[in-house]
Amino acid sequence: MYKMIEARINGIIVEVKEGTTIMEAAKKAQIKIPTLCKHPDLPPSAACGLCIVKVKGSNKMLRACCTPLEDKMEITTNDPDIVEVRKTVLELILSNHPNDCLKCGRNNNCELQSMAADFGIREDIFEKFLRDIPRDGTTGTIVLEPTKCILCGRCIEVCQKGQDVWALSFLERGMDTRISPAGDIKLSESPCVKCGQCSAHCPTGAIFEKDDTHLVWDALKNSDKYCVIQIAPAVRVAIGEAFGVVGKNLTKKLYALFRRLGFKAVFDTNFGADVTIMEEASEFVERLVHKKGELPLITSCCPAWVDFMEKFHSDMINHFSTCKSPHEIIGTLSKTYYAEKNKIDPAKIYMVSIMPCTAKKYEITRSDEMFASGFQDIDVAITTRELARMIKQAGIDFMNLPDEEADSLLGDYTGAGVIFGATGGVMEAALRTAYNLVTGKELEDVNFIKTRGLEFIKEAEIDINGTKIRIAVAHGLSHVEEVLNRIRQAKKEGKEIPYHFIEVMACPGGCVGGGGQPYNVTDALRLKRAAAIYQDDKDRELRCSHKNPYVKKLYKDYLGKPLGEKSHKLCHTDYKARPIYVR
Amino acid sequence: MKKLTKGDIEKVDPAKKDIGKNWIKVGMSTCGVAAGAGEVYLALLEESKKRNVEIDIRKCGCQGACSAEPLVEVNVEGLPKVLYGRVTKDVAITILERHVRNKKLLHDYIFEIN
Amino acid sequence: MEKKIIYLRDTDSAQQDRINDFFTLFSNELRDTNLIEQVQLVKIADIGLYEKGVTVKILPENIVYIGIKNNDVKKIIEETIKNNKIIKELLYEKKSKQIRAVLKNCGYIDPESMEDYIAAGGYKALVKVLTEMKPENVIDELKKSGLRGRGGAGYPTWMKWNFARGMNSLEKYVICNGDEGDPGAYMDRSVLEGDPHSVLEGMIIAGYTIGSSKGFFYIRAEYPLAVERVQKAIDQAAAAGLLGSNILGSNFNFELEIRLGAGAFVCGEETALIASIEGKRGTPHPRPPYPSVKGLWDKPTIINNVETLANIPQLIAGGGAKFASIGTEKSKGTKVFALTGKVKNSGLVEVPMGITLREIIFDIGGGILGNRDIKAIQTGGPSGGVIPREFLDTPVDYENLGKLGSIMGSGGMIAIDDTDCLVDLAKFYLKFCVDESCGKCAPCRLGGYQLLRILEKISEGNGELEDLNKLKKISYAMQKASLCGLGQSASNPVFSTIKYFEEEYRQHIVNKRCLAGKCKALVYFKILPQKCKKCGLCMKNCPSNAILGSREAGYVIDPQKCIKCGACFDICKFKAVMKE
Repeated sequence: MYKMIEARINGIIVEVKEGTTIMEAAKKAQIKIPTLCKHPDLPPSAACGLCIVKVKGSNKMLRACCTPLEDKMEITTNDPDIVEVRKTVLELILSNHPNDCLKCGRNNNCELQSMAADFGIREDIFEKFLRDIPRDGTTGTIVLEPTKCILCGRCIEVCQKGQDVWALSFLERGMDTRISPAGDIKLSESPCVKCGQCSAHCPTGAIFEKDDTHLVWDALKNSDKYCVIQIAPAVRVAIGEAFGVVGKNLTKKLYALFRRLGFKAVFDTNFGADVTIMEEASEFVERLVHKKGELPLITSCCPAWVDFMEKFHSDMINHFSTCKSPHEIIGTLSKTYYAEKNKIDPAKIYMVSIMPCTAKKYEITRSDEMFASGFQDIDVAITTRELARMIKQAGIDFMNLPDEEADSLLGDYTGAGVIFGATGGVMEAALRTAYNLVTGKELEDVNFIKTRGLEFIKEAEIDINGTKIRIAVAHGLSHVEEVLNRIRQAKKEGKEIPYHFIEVMACPGGCVGGGGQPYNVTDALRLKRAAAIYQDDKDRELRCSHKNPYVKKLYKDYLGKPLGEKSHKLCHTDYKARPIYVR
Repeated sequence: MKKLTKGDIEKVDPAKKDIGKNWIKVGMSTCGVAAGAGEVYLALLEESKKRNVEIDIRKCGCQGACSAEPLVEVNVEGLPKVLYGRVTKDVAITILERHVRNKKLLHDYIFEIN
Repeated sequence: MEKKIIYLRDTDSAQQDRINDFFTLFSNELRDTNLIEQVQLVKIADIGLYEKGVTVKILPENIVYIGIKNNDVKKIIEETIKNNKIIKELLYEKKSKQIRAVLKNCGYIDPESMEDYIAAGGYKALVKVLTEMKPENVIDELKKSGLRGRGGAGYPTWMKWNFARGMNSLEKYVICNGDEGDPGAYMDRSVLEGDPHSVLEGMIIAGYTIGSSKGFFYIRAEYPLAVERVQKAIDQAAAAGLLGSNILGSNFNFELEIRLGAGAFVCGEETALIASIEGKRGTPHPRPPYPSVKGLWDKPTIINNVETLANIPQLIAGGGAKFASIGTEKSKGTKVFALTGKVKNSGLVEVPMGITLREIIFDIGGGILGNRDIKAIQTGGPSGGVIPREFLDTPVDYENLGKLGSIMGSGGMIAIDDTDCLVDLAKFYLKFCVDESCGKCAPCRLGGYQLLRILEKISEGNGELEDLNKLKKISYAMQKASLCGLGQSASNPVFSTIKYFEEEYRQHIVNKRCLAGKCKALVYFKILPQKCKKCGLCMKNCPSNAILGSREAGYVIDPQKCIKCGACFDICKFKAVMKE
């Protein structure tokens, strides 16, 4: 039972649960209080000082972001005095921020810029003082540009508390305060797993994805190249946000777009996901039924999670599915299977992955197995945010494009393939096929509701042929350790291991909440994106990977059987312990 | 060390506290030490032995008159309790000889502050 | 006849050799009256009175005569020394303005000896609490006493303790904030170094009252002697059973541990201090929740300043009512100040709340060095403000200082005379706050920096009138929008100097002059021919050969070469060099 309190904000009576902050309560009264540091997705850090409000009976101003509303409080969120103070604070922040808007990665999409516009800032009234801190692009995935940092602390909050990676922290103090890996090392030498959550939460251009769009343009204009492309499941339900549409699946417009951009073939990562499931479900059955390999099996399609595991939990390597992630499978197959079938020189194929993820940029050269085709399987991975810019550059009226289909050889997908984009989806897809592999029967109801939703650790028990299969799904890296510790504890005590199968996604919500997705993500938005994905699944005629006719064709014509020699060569990888800090 | 009891503490009467009739206390907080109290304290210990002046030499905290550090408080039977300020090693020796032994107060070093 | 002692002191600083004349007068008189053997005549260094003429104190009667003239000497010897009669017209009835309560043991006992502390009545309050009092009784006494936190904000101590006491938690903590960081303030250091057991006793009583069994001393690492003595005190108390399990036979357990501050001023702010103890970056966090609800490791925690805790034993021993008998209506007890700046007797003073600034500066501090004019008093350190001399008769308590735009703070008090420049002073404090800002919140981090830049600009002679508005604008925003007390008050030195001394700022900005001569770019040295005796001393001492001329023609300063070091000004015996 919550205690309810009643207070007045700008004269409007609001009734909220005790503990609600003034900022949250104000929202209920349709009052927006400006802030640069509070992200709706994160706890308040109280860094910027813009959200100050007045409370009757005190001559102090309070921070609305972190001050709980109290019963009978009378709050004023706006008067000339408050606006004046806010404006001064904003001018101070701008005195420490370069006027680089036109050349900035966040131009037109920057919270600081919008705030400056709202407050009508027209001149630099204070002396400009810019910090001289070098840019850090060493990871090749996300770029730190500390000169543009307003020290809101969001990146540090997500990196430390949300993701438990602790790659970023504040160094120094006062005017020398800056974001950096501890010890002033490069990001590539830090524990960073490239998940990109920092960049997705940054209010300014201080952390952003490495822009690789020029590589794509270069390839497209090179007549020697045979450019092909694939899109990940989570991209299709988020790209619309760059064009003002939320929670809409734009798969078919994307296919059309890619052809207009000049791609010779359009694939879908969802097909790769179906192949991944064929391999991974087989692997699971191999371990479960034939006792070859350790249980639980842990999913490995999230590259940030793989990096995190290799750095922090390498004792779990034997539990990892060796199956490659879906886009890598498409990459390999495009330069082998597809090239053979269509008699194209694989050396000429240029494979572009559109991903919701910054870590995918890292994954494409992660290990030798990423060159299984004999070439770099994926030539470039770009994020949803980069794609949005490409669309705008190309001058295409994206939202009004006609619907088109993918090239079916590596394009047709089942419902199981698309749900990879949401937390729990890989697990659900794998179970649909594993059930079939074990029992030879089909599930009556393919929906595993218990694996869906945003609860950080989800557990369920599924009956396969009389065997109770215990599964766990975790997302947000800070929630992984709890699950892994249960395994370790059981091992140590010689007890039965509590799980058979575990899915982990680094980003909260899974790929729909990926670090390369459009900005301003909240749980509400994650759910909307996921809903569009589950709708696609529901609308599909085929919802199990093993029923995909093109998957069957792939195995019949080319790979042989799951876990067979050829699929092992092309579709699997391995792992090694990596140092947390590279020195 | 033996554990104290409530009685041990209750029976103390601070009004009757007696830490000996003849003593010298040197202010040995940071302010005193920074001004040279350490040297003064050592000089007092060594010189009193060397010169056979019988006196109990102790440390104490800051007495407040920081501008006059090092401060040395002297209590000798038959003379009022006296606070000397800006005491150097030489002054300390003079205190032993003149004040403690000969029961004559030193000129120009006494601080009578409130 | 009992042996007498005459202390002799000239309290007028202007008269340099007069005391020796009087010494001779007294000596001769004593010799003539054959009293030289019975009376010791001693010239002393300070008699605790200032500008009262030649003064004597006669022991053992403690008779003080002031304003003594030559012909009084004979009379004093005749009447007072010989016949024990008091001369009314010379008599000064001296009342001590200081009350030593917190500092009662400081400088009197051996801080490294628990026996000394106990012999002085130490740990009696603890015994009283453990035998006669329930936690709520302690709270009642605190409430009666009116004790308010001595760390600066002046929050009623009983309320803080009572919040924590009321929290339902198995673990609670008591923290002693010994991260004293204000430039020029060292009250806490002196207490920790001079009487560590009194703070220990206060903490143990606090632990008993709120139901905590663990306390932390947070002491800055720059205080090694304090750390050493507190550790010694903890060890002694533990060995004697005053810490540990079943303290003094009761069922109360309490342990103490020292944590060192690593030199960040902001770690004196309680939420930053907690973060620091937890091993995190020392930055403040939003309140509420207050530490008494959710503090160290999220457990109810009280954080008290050293001086507050040192007040506890005497408060409990004597009772809250007795404590409240000293002070003003809203500020009870005594306050320790670190008196520094242009005052004759700098040092620690402990005074009852309600004493005036004038009494502190002139009666205790002995007035201003060189008898110059006092311009203002700075209280509260970098978070405080200046109080101009018009308000010297203000009684010192939390409310009055607040009304004047300053704060009590932890107890720094700096006398400022006419050779001090207030722009320079504001710059000094601001520099400190800019260096010490944790950097977390924008108004403090950036506002402080911009204020400092503007002040630098003004003191370099590049100020514009618009800068005054900017200073006010930033200061106001910092006060309102900063997260913690450091940021909210960092602009106080600027705010209050502009409030009272805007004219001095205008002098710098419009006339490009620093009349106090502190801002080098704005001071010009000039030799006044009418006063110059052509001795040439200035030329000899000028390090940059900026003084031209000869003994015949006289001297002038070449402003191009002058580096404004002030050597000529200091060396001239005829005051012929002036600043303008």
